[in-house]
Amino acid sequence: MLIRFEPISEKCAEIIEQLMSAPEMPQDDGLLFKIRLCVEEAVENIVSYAYLRGDGWLEAQTDVLGDSLVITLRDAGTPFNPLDTPDPDITLSAEERQPGGLGIFLCKKMMDTLNYEYKDGCNIFCMSIKTKTN
Amino acid sequence: MEVAVIQENNKASVKISGRLDTTTTPQFQEAIKPLIDGETTEIEIDCSGMDYTSSLGLRSFLLLQKSMSSKGGSMVLTGMQAKVREVFDITGFSSIIKIV
Repeated sequence: MLIRFEPISEKCAEIIEQLMSAPEMPQDDGLLFKIRLCVEEAVENIVSYAYLRGDGWLEAQTDVLGDSLVITLRDAGTPFNPLDTPDPDITLSAEERQPGGLGIFLCKKMMDTLNYEYKDGCNIFCMSIKTKTN
Repeated sequence: MEVAVIQENNKASVKISGRLDTTTTPQFQEAIKPLIDGETTEIEIDCSGMDYTSSLGLRSFLLLQKSMSSKGGSMVLTGMQAKVREVFDITGFSSIIKIV
C-alpha cells in the first residue's frame, strides 16, 4: 500500500494510524508493537525535522517481500541520513545520559534491516522486519 | 493514555495507563512537571496499565529520574509489562531507572 500525506505538519498521529492499518501488517501483537514503535520514531523524525521551512509531503509504502514486511518512507525535505546518528552510550548513568538519539537506536535494534539513500531530491528510508517464521 | 498523580509531602504516587506516544507524552509531561519542579523526592509509578512507550515517553522517565537524583531522592517503576520492559532494556534505561 502506498499512502501520500501532504501537508504533514501536526499530522504525525494520523500518519502512524493509517500506516499501521495497512493490509500488509502482520497480526502478531508482539511484532505490531515493534513495528508501531519504529514507524512512530521514523515518522516523528520526518514530521519534526524534514521540512524546517514550511511544510511538505511524506510517502509511506508497505510491501511484503518474501518473509519480511518492508516499510519505505520518502520525503523531499533536508537531506538527512538517520543512520549517521551516533548510538547513545547506554552505559552512562542517569545524570550523564542525554535525552535524545533514542528513536533511531530503537529502530536499529528492533528492525532486521534499515537502509537510507538520497535520490532524486528525496530522502528514502527503508525498514524491514521478518514477519514469517519458517 | 491516562495518568493520575497523588502527592503527599515529599512522596508521590503516579499511575499511568494506555499508550505513551508522540501524541500523549506532552500530557504526561504536564502531569509530572510539579514533581520535577516541587519538593517531591520519592516517586513510585505504577506502570502495569502502560502498554506502549516511544522514545519521547522514555525521555519523560529520564527527566524524572534526573530530577530525583539531583534532589537526592529516588524513583521506582512497578508492574511493567514485558514488551515495554524490552524497550527499557534495549535503551539501557533498566540500568539507570529502578524497575521492580
